[in-house]
Amino acid sequence: MELEFRRRDYGATHESQFLPRSEALKHPLSSIFASRQQQAKTVRGSDLDFFDPLRGLDVNASAEEKVEDTSISIEAVTQDLIKEWKSLKRVLMQRFPVSKLILYFTQSTVEAPSALSHSEETGSEQTSLEEPAKIINQQEYIAKVHELREGIKCAWQAEDRVTSLKLSIKVTKLLMDTTVLQFYPTVFVIVTDMLDMLGDMVWERIKQKAELDVDGTVICSLLKRLAITGFAKLVLFENFSLACKTSINYYFLILPTFLCLSFGFSLYAHSYLELAIMPCWRFLINQPMEVLDRLVMMVRGLADPLASLYCRLYMVHRMQKFGFCNSGYLIKCIKDIEDVLAPVLVDKEGYSYITDDKKLLFSLMEPAIEYIVKCLFLTGRQENNVLSMLEELGFGRNKFQSSCNSSHVSILLHHLLKELPSELVISLTTEILDMIKCSNDCSFSQVLNYRLLGNKLSEGKSQEGFLSSLIDEVIQAASQYQSLYDYLRIMDAYVDLMLQNKMENHLDALLDDIVNLARDKFLCEEEQASLQSIILKLLAHFENLQEVLPLNHFIEILDLMSGTSKSSVNMHLLNMGTRNGCICDSTTVQFLFEVSQALYDATDFVHIKDDDNRQTSHLISRFVEMVDYGAEMERHLMFLAECREAFNGIHELKETLVRSSNTLAVKALKAGKKHTNFVKSCLAFSEVTIPSISSPTKHLNLYLETAEVALLGGLISHSDGLVMSAVEYLENVAVTDGLKLIDVDSMASVVCKLCSLLVMVPGNPEKGVMEILKSIFSATCSSSWATPRLKVKIFCAIMSLLSTLSQDNLPYHSANPEIIGNDLLFFGDSSYKQELVSCSQFVLSELLDAIEQESSQIARGNMAIEACNCISLALVVLFLPSFAYFLIPDKLKVVLTWVGDMFDDVQMNEKVTELCLRLLETAKGCLGANDRYIESTKKSLQL
Amino acid sequence: MATVTTVNVKLSRSNRIYRSSEPVEGKIVIKSATSISHQPIRLSVNGSVNLQVRGGSAGVIESFYGVIKPIQIVKKTIEVRSSGKIPPGTTEIPFSLNLREPGESIVEKFYETFHGTNINIQYLLTADIPRGYLHKPLSATMEFIIESGRVDLPERPIPPEMVIFYITQDTQRHPLLPEIKTGGFRVTGKLATQCSLQDPLSGELTVEASSVPITSIDIHLLRVESIIVGERIVTETSLIQSTQIADGDVCRNMSLPIYVLLPRLLMCPSVFAGPFSVEFKVCITISFKSKLAKAQPKSDPTAPRLWMALERLPLELVRTKRDQFSC
Repeated sequence: MELEFRRRDYGATHESQFLPRSEALKHPLSSIFASRQQQAKTVRGSDLDFFDPLRGLDVNASAEEKVEDTSISIEAVTQDLIKEWKSLKRVLMQRFPVSKLILYFTQSTVEAPSALSHSEETGSEQTSLEEPAKIINQQEYIAKVHELREGIKCAWQAEDRVTSLKLSIKVTKLLMDTTVLQFYPTVFVIVTDMLDMLGDMVWERIKQKAELDVDGTVICSLLKRLAITGFAKLVLFENFSLACKTSINYYFLILPTFLCLSFGFSLYAHSYLELAIMPCWRFLINQPMEVLDRLVMMVRGLADPLASLYCRLYMVHRMQKFGFCNSGYLIKCIKDIEDVLAPVLVDKEGYSYITDDKKLLFSLMEPAIEYIVKCLFLTGRQENNVLSMLEELGFGRNKFQSSCNSSHVSILLHHLLKELPSELVISLTTEILDMIKCSNDCSFSQVLNYRLLGNKLSEGKSQEGFLSSLIDEVIQAASQYQSLYDYLRIMDAYVDLMLQNKMENHLDALLDDIVNLARDKFLCEEEQASLQSIILKLLAHFENLQEVLPLNHFIEILDLMSGTSKSSVNMHLLNMGTRNGCICDSTTVQFLFEVSQALYDATDFVHIKDDDNRQTSHLISRFVEMVDYGAEMERHLMFLAECREAFNGIHELKETLVRSSNTLAVKALKAGKKHTNFVKSCLAFSEVTIPSISSPTKHLNLYLETAEVALLGGLISHSDGLVMSAVEYLENVAVTDGLKLIDVDSMASVVCKLCSLLVMVPGNPEKGVMEILKSIFSATCSSSWATPRLKVKIFCAIMSLLSTLSQDNLPYHSANPEIIGNDLLFFGDSSYKQELVSCSQFVLSELLDAIEQESSQIARGNMAIEACNCISLALVVLFLPSFAYFLIPDKLKVVLTWVGDMFDDVQMNEKVTELCLRLLETAKGCLGANDRYIESTKKSLQL
Repeated sequence: MATVTTVNVKLSRSNRIYRSSEPVEGKIVIKSATSISHQPIRLSVNGSVNLQVRGGSAGVIESFYGVIKPIQIVKKTIEVRSSGKIPPGTTEIPFSLNLREPGESIVEKFYETFHGTNINIQYLLTADIPRGYLHKPLSATMEFIIESGRVDLPERPIPPEMVIFYITQDTQRHPLLPEIKTGGFRVTGKLATQCSLQDPLSGELTVEASSVPITSIDIHLLRVESIIVGERIVTETSLIQSTQIADGDVCRNMSLPIYVLLPRLLMCPSVFAGPFSVEFKVCITISFKSKLAKAQPKSDPTAPRLWMALERLPLELVRTKRDQFSC
């Protein structure tokens, strides 16, 4: 006998290494939270702007913000609007992308700048008309426009302002062409960019002329001079003389100054150019009201609805940019827009209908209208007269006056409503409702307006009494549509209102109506979506599933749904059902089971694996987990079996099933002895279920867990069987080589866990005490999946297990007193100990081999120390004085024999000591002598 | 070229506008690489009305003779510097020239500068530097602009006289397309017919009804120049400027602004002198949608056509006190 296991006194070790425990006054997390809050308070004193999104909403702070909100400075508004304009441009380009169109233009609309300046002298109009129209596509078209734009810039920089102006007129004329509607926004964005550039250049030039003397010295800053408007005239005349110097030419004389140069051309060129240079009026007049009035009116001359709207859009943009804007102009603008739209909406017979053309037209108009209305409200808020503004627009008028004659075009009404602050909406609700009723035209869906009103109302707080009559009216209006989709869309917006104000009667009526309208019908996708939204709102409002289920027709409505929206609703239902702890009510369980089944049927678990599926499977598993039948344990087990049958595609669920059945078994065990048969059936259920789990670590873990339960129940044969199946599975994993999926570390920890379980499991004298251990050992040795590192870990665990089993007192026993540990079972049995020793010899040699196999130096070093530590803990080792380590291995032997002579029993362990030293040497070779792990290992060995 | 000598007349006002009562001031700028000896340097002013008959209502013979003797307004010469030598480099010789001496009786009124088709009223300032027989004399000419400087100019017309006009199918003197005639239309508006030169022509216009869609409404400024040639009066009407105020079939009953800035050099206060006169007119044209319009090539936009309605209004341009440019 060469090896000897180290004697361990677990009780003493536990006592000596046990850390003293003392009661804490505060929970560590709660104390941090409190101090944080204090901190936050002190911070808040100095820096009010800081807003922590995680902190709860401070009511006072929000009130302060609101006060600030009403008095916005002009600069802020302007800044806002510049941003808005940028985003608008992006929206226009994105919503109506050019690349999708395959349409062609004649080239005569765009000419290269060189060609233009060339032909100008010979009378370009005639030549371009006679030219055969070349066909070009949009990309070329845009490229040409950009080329023109560059031409303008170059000409301007080269002091050739007349050419640059002529070019810009050319570009502006592009906006006349509305034949290709979809292309218009793109052209608009490009051209207005160009015009902005031109306007800025003119402004800069005049400013420079004003600020600088002829020889370039600064006279005085512009702002001072703005008071003296006379100088601007000087600038005008300076330009005038510029025109005079050039030969007297008809065209040139038409352009005497930049302030009147745009006149005499087509209205488009003329309006856009004048808008571009509009800020220059500041040089002449301080408050150019008349000019603005005229400009607003001038745009009326453009009859094409789209072109005029975009022109107004540009006007608003320019006004905003230079602070000329006031709500008066904007209101005029909006009224004009309405007048322009009126004939578009209604044809000669006075019948309003929608065609594809019109639809396209309105979709093109929408962003522009949105922008203008946004501007209106920003300006109104800044001027603090939103109310009077609304009055001018026809809101809040007397009910008798405002019958149908003050109705708005619905697209406008929609955007007005959208921008209205919700408090105002609430105070004007009845008027707005009337207006919505009146404005029923094809430009925008009336349904959406009703919806918007509802959304606005639910944003704010309103009185209940008044609401009920309002909702009555809305329901009436909505049911007039006779179409479920419209009805749903409208009522969707009001559900929140009803729920918040506890209007059960209305809610019942709503659900009744839905059922009536949907009867005997197959719901299309949009209807499904609206219905889904309504139901989700209902679900979000109620805490408990028990509150929702008794609602009128609820189940009936659920049955109406199908497809993805049904799945979505089902998921919410499941989530709601499982979030409030255990589900005990059998009807609820039944309902949720059906819901889960529907959800399961709708999802393809076998072929598609994605996040969505994962959520579904997670929800279903959670549901199964939360079900609790209380004392009816048999029923519970049956339910689990049902679930296994119904959802056999969900892998995650099987784990839950096993766990649930184990929990059930433990519960039965606690309840008393009489349930042994039930425990057995639970274990059988688990045992049958486990093999279908694919993940090896889960698989093994569940085996072990079930084995533990069996052990707890005193069912040794069961636990033996389970442990054996686990080991067999371990072997099978090795055979089937499913190693790609296995996380090596988790595998190792499972085997370690198995080893620690084996401490409790009594050995079977018939089959051989070490049988299980040996199979683990052989499975690990023969397996291709076990890396050297893993092997070392497992072998170390086996070593520790062997050492533990050799003790007279095991560190722990099974909780069931009927189970006798190996310490008692084989007390004093020398053959048992013999077997342990021989086993450990095997393991040791394999362990050393495994270390040698590791290719990485550092890993090998670490493994060597690990093994060394493990061996020194498990076996008795002779400890040498420190000088021994400085000896070369040859001399070591001499020292060892010398020491061995002195102590008899030490000689037996010479081999182990040598082994340890060799391992340390290996580690030193791999990691270097100064490694801290080696140092500490040495220290512990020498102690 | 080092030897090139340049002479320029530079006026004190960059806009070159003067009143007849004011002295014309400025300097003659001579840039020379070498010194130049010269005889007395003279500056002369020459203002005249040049009349010319061509085309229009003039007969073949008149147009053959073409130019009629110009009417002299002012012709004066002063000596700025007696003979001497100009050093190399840049030399500036200041001058001041009274157009009209206080006691001097005026032969002709100082008409405002005007460039028209047949009538040109022009004031030129010429600097002459004679250099003896061996050298070419140096000279430079500069046009300056005269604006009426009378003290009795009216204040700004208050209120501007507004003329109300109606344009319907019945007010048209030329034939219209049958559908326009039967369908009818009515456009009303008002326009200030007396207008200060510095102010824009302003007014408004409303389309009240039109059965045929409108394609365009334009405001044309017309200039009527008349010259007495012998026994006859030759009148030439020419288009100065067109301004579109409506494009497409505009909304009914929406007032559109009429706003036309007057091109400064092509217009002047209405003049009724003995041998010539300059008057102005406004022509409002309404074009209706018609296939014929597209077929017709571009030509005089104020000519009566089948698809167009016209209204001509006289326009009196005046110079008011407010416009006086003071520097």
